[in-house]
Amino acid sequence: MKGWFAPLLLALGLALAQSQQPIKIGALFILSGNFAGYGKSGSQGAQLAAEEINARGGVLGRPIQLIVVDDQGNPDVGVREARRLILQEKVDFLFGIDSSSVSLAVAPLTDEYKIPLVVTHAATPNLTEQCRPYVFRTSNNARMDSWAAAALAATLPVKRWANIGPDYEFGRVSWQDFITRLKQLRPDVEVVSEQWPRFGSTDYASFITALMRARPEAVFSTLWAGDMVIFARQAKQFGFFNQVKYFVNPVGAALEVLVPLGKETPEGLLVSARYWFLYPNTERNKAFVEAYRKRFGEYPSYNAQEAYAGLHMLARAIEKARSTQADAVKRAFEADGGLVYDAPEGRKRMRPEDHQVFEGLVWGYTKHTPDYPFAILERMRIVPATDTIYPTQCKR
Amino acid sequence: MDLGFYALQLLTGLAYASTLFLLSVGLSLIFGAMGIVNFAHGSFYMLGAYFLYAFTRGQADGFWGGLLLVLATGFVIGAFVERIFIRRVYARPEEYQILLTYALLLIIEDLVRFFFGTGYRAFPMPQAFAGPLFLLGTPFPSYYLFLIGLAAVSALLLGIFLYRTRLGAWIRAATQDREMLEALGVNVPLLYTVVFGVGIALAALGGAALLPMQAATPGMAVDAVINAFIVVVIGGLASVWGALLGAVLIGLVQALGVLFLPEWAMVFPFALMALTLLLRPWGLLGRPPAVRT
Repeated sequence: MKGWFAPLLLALGLALAQSQQPIKIGALFILSGNFAGYGKSGSQGAQLAAEEINARGGVLGRPIQLIVVDDQGNPDVGVREARRLILQEKVDFLFGIDSSSVSLAVAPLTDEYKIPLVVTHAATPNLTEQCRPYVFRTSNNARMDSWAAAALAATLPVKRWANIGPDYEFGRVSWQDFITRLKQLRPDVEVVSEQWPRFGSTDYASFITALMRARPEAVFSTLWAGDMVIFARQAKQFGFFNQVKYFVNPVGAALEVLVPLGKETPEGLLVSARYWFLYPNTERNKAFVEAYRKRFGEYPSYNAQEAYAGLHMLARAIEKARSTQADAVKRAFEADGGLVYDAPEGRKRMRPEDHQVFEGLVWGYTKHTPDYPFAILERMRIVPATDTIYPTQCKR
Repeated sequence: MDLGFYALQLLTGLAYASTLFLLSVGLSLIFGAMGIVNFAHGSFYMLGAYFLYAFTRGQADGFWGGLLLVLATGFVIGAFVERIFIRRVYARPEEYQILLTYALLLIIEDLVRFFFGTGYRAFPMPQAFAGPLFLLGTPFPSYYLFLIGLAAVSALLLGIFLYRTRLGAWIRAATQDREMLEALGVNVPLLYTVVFGVGIALAALGGAALLPMQAATPGMAVDAVINAFIVVVIGGLASVWGALLGAVLIGLVQALGVLFLPEWAMVFPFALMALTLLLRPWGLLGRPPAVRT
C-alpha cells in the first residue's frame, strides 16, 4: 500500500501546485514625478481588489498576483517596462496606465504578444478607436466627459464660452469634443477666448488676465492634477471666479485636486471626476469607501475606484472565459452585448465593438462643509450613460 | 481700459520674471565662479518650498519667520553639499559633475517623497496679501507686487555684494582666473563654499516665496531646473545681470505672447532661447569664450 501512496501524493501535489499558479497581472502606473499621486491611488485600488479576489479563493482557483511598476508617465519607459513584464515576469495581462501617451505606446504590444491590456485611467478616445482586439478600457474616456459637460453646459443660461486647458492631446481633444457637442445642442453659443498653457505650468497669471479680458460668462477647463491646484489658487487672487459665472471642469473633482486645495477651493465650480466617493449612496459604495479607508487611511479617489473596478471586471471576464487565454477573455468581454459589472460607482457596461465601458457620470457644484477638510459636491447632476454614447468606427 | 490692461499684463510678466530670477541667478553664479553645472539647482528650489511648509506647519502666520529660516537653511545646506560632494569633482572631467548633481536631484526627489508624500502641498496666502489690489479698476494680486519687490531687493543686494565688497570682488575674480586668485593668497575652497551656499540660499528663497501662489510637489525640481537653464542660456552663463535680463525677457514674452498669439504662447520662451543660441551662443550678457591657442 505504501508503495503507490507516495507517488500519488506527489502527483496530486504537483497538479495542485499547477492549478495554484498565480494569474500574473502587470500594472503600469505613474509612481514618480508630479503625477505620482494618481499612480499611488490607482495601484492602491488594484491592490485592494486583488486582496479581495484572493480572499475569496482567487480566479479559477488561482490567486491574482499583481506586479506594479513605474512607467513615469513616459511612453518609452512604459513600453520598456511592459515588454519586461511580458518577457521576464511572464504576466498574463497588462493593466492600469495613467497617461494617454503611454497607453497609445503600449497598445501595439498587445497584438505583438497576444497579451490583453485593461486600461483604467488613460482617457484619450483614440485608444479605443484604434479597435485593437486585446485592448479594453474599463473607465470612461475624455470624450464621454466632454459630452457630459456639454449636456450640462447646454442647460446653463450663458452664451459666451472660453477655454483654458493643458497644451497637449488630452486638453485639445477634450475642448474640441466639448465645443462641437455644445454647438450641436446650443447653436447660439460663441467662443471668446482659448488659452493653452504648457502642461505642468506653474504660472498662470498672464493666461488668467487674458481670459478675464475676454469677459467670458463661462469657462471650460481640463486642467488637472497640480495644474488645476495652482491655477485655482492664482485665479482666486485675480478675482477670476467672481467674474466668471460658471467654471466647468470634467476632472476638477479629483481628490488629487480637492484635498491639496483644502479650504481654498472656490465654491460653485461645476466639476466632475470619473468617480465621486460620496456617490451613489448605496451599501456597495459605502462598503468600498470604508474598506479602502481602513486599508490605506484616505478616501478613494476616482483613479483608485477605477483601478479597483477594472481589476474586478477583468477577474469576472477570466471567470466567464474559464481561461486566461487572450481570445477567450476577449470573447468573454464581448459576449451577451458586453460584460456588465456593478462597480461601487454603479453599472459599467462594455461596448463590444470598441471595448469601451460606458457608465453614468456624476457632476456637482463645489461646496465647503464642516464634515470634510476639503470641498465636496452639492447639487449633484447625474449624466446618464446614454448621454455619453458617441458613435464608434470599430466593428467586431 | 485697454492701456490699463496692457500695464497689468506687463506687471504679471514681471512677477513671473521675479520668480525666474531668484531661481536662476544662483545657477548662473555657481557656474560662473566654480564652473559647476548644477543639475540639482531646481531641487534646492523645491526644498525651499517644502521647508517653508515644514517650518510653518502649513500655517500662514509663520510666513515671514519661515522665509528667513529657509534662507538660512538654504545657505547651510548649500555649504554642506559643496563641502561633502561638489568639492570632490572639481579636478575631474565634467561628466562627473553632471553625474553627481543629477544624482543629487534624484536623491532629493526621493527624500522629499519619503518625508512629504507624493501629493501637492499648498500653503495659504499670508494675511497681508489676502485681498487683491485694484489697479485701474482691475483686481491684481498684491502678492505679485511683493514678489517683484523681493526679486528687485535680492538683485540689488547681490549687485552690491558682488561689485562693492571684497568677497564679491574675489568671486568675480574666481570666474576669471582661479589659480591667480589662489596665488594671491585667497582661500578659494572657502570662497567656493560661500558661493555655493549663496546660490542655493537664493534658489531656496525663490521656492519658498512662490509657495503661496503655487504648490510644492516632488516633480517641481525638474521643471524648475529646465526653466532656470532657459533663462541662463538666454541671459548668459556666469552673469547676474544676464540672469535678470533673461528672466525679464521670458516673463514679458510669455505675458505678451498670451495676449497676441495665445495658441503659440508656450513656444515663445523656447523660440527666444533658440534664437539666442543661433545669434549669440554665449548669451545676451555672457562673455564669448576666449580663443585658446
